[in-house]
Amino acid sequence: MILDKVAEIIVKIAHCNFDDVRPETELIALGIDSLKAITMLFELEEAFDISIPNEIIPSITTVNDILDKLDNSRQIKT
Amino acid sequence: MSRRVMITGLGVISGLGLNTSAFWDALTAGRSAIKPFNLFMDDVKISVAATVPDFDPGNYFSADELSLLDRYSQLAVIAARAAADDAGLVYGEEIFTSAATIIGSGCGGKHTDEATYDQLYKQQRSRVHPLTIPKGMPSAAASMVSLHLGIKGPAFGLTSACASGSHAIIQGMAMIQSGIIDVALVGAADAPFTYGLLKSWDALRVVSNDTCRPFCKDRSGMVLGEGAGMLVLESEEHAKARGARVYAEITGCGMTSDAGHITRPDVTGMGNAMKNALHHAGIAPENVDYINAHGTATQANDIAETQAIHQVFGDHAQSIAISSTKSMHAHALGASSAMELVATALAIRHGIIPPTANFTICDEKCDLNYVPNEACKQEINIAMSNSFAFGGLNAVIILKKYP
Repeated sequence: MILDKVAEIIVKIAHCNFDDVRPETELIALGIDSLKAITMLFELEEAFDISIPNEIIPSITTVNDILDKLDNSRQIKT
Repeated sequence: MSRRVMITGLGVISGLGLNTSAFWDALTAGRSAIKPFNLFMDDVKISVAATVPDFDPGNYFSADELSLLDRYSQLAVIAARAAADDAGLVYGEEIFTSAATIIGSGCGGKHTDEATYDQLYKQQRSRVHPLTIPKGMPSAAASMVSLHLGIKGPAFGLTSACASGSHAIIQGMAMIQSGIIDVALVGAADAPFTYGLLKSWDALRVVSNDTCRPFCKDRSGMVLGEGAGMLVLESEEHAKARGARVYAEITGCGMTSDAGHITRPDVTGMGNAMKNALHHAGIAPENVDYINAHGTATQANDIAETQAIHQVFGDHAQSIAISSTKSMHAHALGASSAMELVATALAIRHGIIPPTANFTICDEKCDLNYVPNEACKQEINIAMSNSFAFGGLNAVIILKKYP
């Protein structure tokens, strides 16, 4: 499941609890600052074989935003 | 009482041109070196940069010399020669042979390193060129400047990311102040346009594909450049004795470390570096006329630097002319801080403040006078040059008009 895969990545980077990563959770609340954010984006790009352009990064503030971007991509490998 | 330190020679090679005249002409015209960049075609996202134009190393060095000169060392030697010539120093003179050579760099001999890794990992070759180590080592530029100019005093490389040039200059200043040496050739060089480095900068997501617009609402990040900035520093006594032209006096420095985030700037660290510089120079904040800002045009730096300036200067902040010349020569990493001190010295000498080019409208959180787009004629008695590097390494230098 995509949420689980995303949550695993976030937990690895933010060292937060798996159960705290819910779709509506704000990334900043999970301790994802600017440096952790670009590391998280790198891991997401690698895991899902997608490219996340710089221009949309300001709009990614919640876990749902990540899931939406993944849904919109045509290159997801599940 | 420590000795006074003068700047008597300047040398720059940059995206704005092959010499200091081209550099200054472009700065005063508000002309940016930032252009479309497609060295690695579609594989690198970075699409604008400030590379040194019309540069043929063969015009400066023999084939034998080039076998030992990484691109960053080439730029360092060219700028160092220009600074030494500008200062009127004669090769072989005893005072020149006993001078110090302190050359900073943010990324060192990356062209050599990456060519070597390409040979080993990609081409699977079993051997590399025997001169790889002396050519690519981080101190290579210091060695090459010393070798090519015949400087035999203290010589070493220095690195502190974007503040490398400033730290090298400060080290030279301190050595002259303390009496260890009378003359120092100091500065920095960087040549970051290699595949691996550019992919690395792509990954950090702080580089713009528009242009460099420091302090602007629509800024979208920094732009990479390359080049070298070099200065000749002398004790006041030595400069007077030989009748040297003095661009400005280096009258103080401030250095701090944020000891916090590896990339995010810290207002307190920046502010303390500026305060320390003012204290070291014995200068009150309200006497500063011009600040050459670090001004990288990243979201974080420009706001933090503006806040720090407010904190240090209070009401006077609104009266200070502030510009980021990175808008024109781009961010040549460690070399930028040296180029910026050259620009600041020239600003004092000529009474002209270079603008912040490519300026559109201010970010609401950046509310100071950034000298947008057009240079401004203004007498400058005291100027400050800020360098706030990755890793939280901050260096601030204060220049004073002399006499």
